[in-house]
Amino acid sequence: MHRTKTFRFAVAAVGIATAALAAGPLASSGATLLPAGPSPAAQARHEAPASPAGANGFPVSLPSQGGTVVVPARPDRILSLSPSATQMLYAIDAGKQVVGVDKYSTYPPDAPRTKFTGGETNAEGYLTVHPDLVLLAFPSGKVVQQLTVLHIPVLVLPPASNMAQVDQQMFELGRATGHYGRARSVAASLSAQVHRLVASAAGAGRGKTYYLELSPDYYTATSKTFVGSELSLFGMKDVADPAGRGTGYPQISAEFVLHANPYYVLLADTVCCAATPASFAHRPGFSALSAVRDHRVVGVNDSLASEWGPHTIEGFVGLVARLLRR
Amino acid sequence: MPGRLALPDEGTALQLQPARLRARHVLPAVAFLLVAATASLVTGPAGLSPFGVVEEVVSKLPLLHVHSPLGPTGSVVVWQLRMPEMVLGLLVGAVLAVSGASYQGVFLNPLADPYLLGVASGAGLGATLAIVSGGGTGSATSAVPAAAFGGAVVAVAATFALSRSRHGRSTASLILAGVAVAAFFTAVQTFLMQEHSSIELQAIYTWLLGGLSTAGWSQVLLVLPYIAASSAVLVCSRRLLDTMSVGDEEAMALGLSVRHARLVVIGAATLGTAAAVSVSGLIGFVGIIVPHAIRLLAGPSYRRLVPLSLLYGGGFLVLADVVARTALSPQEVPLGVVTAFLGAPFFLVVLRQSRKLT
Repeated sequence: MHRTKTFRFAVAAVGIATAALAAGPLASSGATLLPAGPSPAAQARHEAPASPAGANGFPVSLPSQGGTVVVPARPDRILSLSPSATQMLYAIDAGKQVVGVDKYSTYPPDAPRTKFTGGETNAEGYLTVHPDLVLLAFPSGKVVQQLTVLHIPVLVLPPASNMAQVDQQMFELGRATGHYGRARSVAASLSAQVHRLVASAAGAGRGKTYYLELSPDYYTATSKTFVGSELSLFGMKDVADPAGRGTGYPQISAEFVLHANPYYVLLADTVCCAATPASFAHRPGFSALSAVRDHRVVGVNDSLASEWGPHTIEGFVGLVARLLRR
Repeated sequence: MPGRLALPDEGTALQLQPARLRARHVLPAVAFLLVAATASLVTGPAGLSPFGVVEEVVSKLPLLHVHSPLGPTGSVVVWQLRMPEMVLGLLVGAVLAVSGASYQGVFLNPLADPYLLGVASGAGLGATLAIVSGGGTGSATSAVPAAAFGGAVVAVAATFALSRSRHGRSTASLILAGVAVAAFFTAVQTFLMQEHSSIELQAIYTWLLGGLSTAGWSQVLLVLPYIAASSAVLVCSRRLLDTMSVGDEEAMALGLSVRHARLVVIGAATLGTAAAVSVSGLIGFVGIIVPHAIRLLAGPSYRRLVPLSLLYGGGFLVLADVVARTALSPQEVPLGVVTAFLGAPFFLVVLRQSRKLT
């Protein structure tokens, strides 16, 4: 029986570990978003790009994950394992250099999708497409080390938390792919377009509260996240901000939503969980919410709340502007 | 007797004094339950006045003409949000605790918990399958309880089938089969999680950590029949458990068909646990902490332990849920984290105690 006891204890220990592990990703996903902009040194490198070496400025060295990544020559077999990076590559005319994108990169629709998720813990599978540059948002396991050993440059572009960091990532991709000039003009026109859209709402969003739902069990995003920062551009206020201690993606409750009575409700769980304004209105007590009574509950594609590529940004900011103009 | 962990004073308690359930045991448990239920109803981010909530509840009682001070929204918060969450907490906590106590009696092992025979891993795999296959087609959320329940039943059935050997079935082979089935189901579940995106992963993790926060009356009605039936069978079996606790040979000498009694108890405890897990996810440690705390308070007799586990188990989980909702309010802490946080240190104390007893 001593063995059995040990077994039970081991099972219990695994239980505790599972709880810790499961709590981990939530906490760390917040942590990866929180660090403010790049270091002054990194910024300086961007202000003065291009070392005066070979053709088109290659090789280039870029900051990634606190270290430096060297791209020796203009890549023409890029593997993009982040939907946002994929959007950026195509926006800056580097699409022809892309040989593969992850299965969640849905824009542009004709990008060469693979079965990769971008969450692989082993880089060997990536070798089948013979990449000469790999882009990741959430590197897992030893993938980065393995690719480095194989002399395949790998750039990690974690979730942006504001527009400045989006520009930053586009500049980096511009330098890494030989389209720096185009990246600068795309970034400039993106921010001009965002400004136009925000201006078109004519301040209608100022001070208006919103609840952005990521799952029907009341996971939400605070204004510290990228999607929250987009809504902040309109002067809107996130009802979940008081819950944002230590994480940008807290779980709140139905009761809190009822109490906060948000002016707008954005459902970003229409794809994962089939949420609709009608199903939202049918939850207990929610018919009393002013957003439900006055039809200010809108369903949006889940990806609008989780991606930070230029196509997503224009789409989401445009949608919010239309909502506010209504 | 090597290979068996005897519970403290089991035999002597049985022979010397019939350990009846007395008012001095029941009244504190009922008081604890009422305090927990009240605490649950009066706390929440909506900022309702606690007295207002009490008046609202009392106003619904017949013959009492009390006027509720709460508006329609406050009334909805109390009856549609807080009340079903509290009731579900009572049901789940009660059945987990009473199942844990029964498992400990059947397996003569103080560290047995309701997930011993693969309920948790089976339910986990079922829920994971429902979440990942729900994909873009919708209705994933509503399929989760049924899938979790089905997975739990399949896992326990597999444990039973695999534990039969040429020499019949011993409790040791049952436990080992449970460990093997749990490992296998968990492996499949981990593989599926590896294959899917972060959105689905988060849904799975949230389910695994357990919680009552999206509970509505429909979930209460879904599990009530199973939990009521399972609890009724276990309460009726409390004398059998006392008899079994003296050991198989002795129990048979007393005229008990140990094999059948054990099957009935395990079946009832498993069904109740599967129903609880299907709506609340994996909430750990309740099935261990609560029965052991009661043993310290009221002694080891199952005649007391089983009914008191229902009362204290329900109260404990409801209080843990209050902590989960208020510790970082308005942010919710997963309930499984709270019970494990309180339970893990307690678990270690129990472990030390049981070492001394062997």
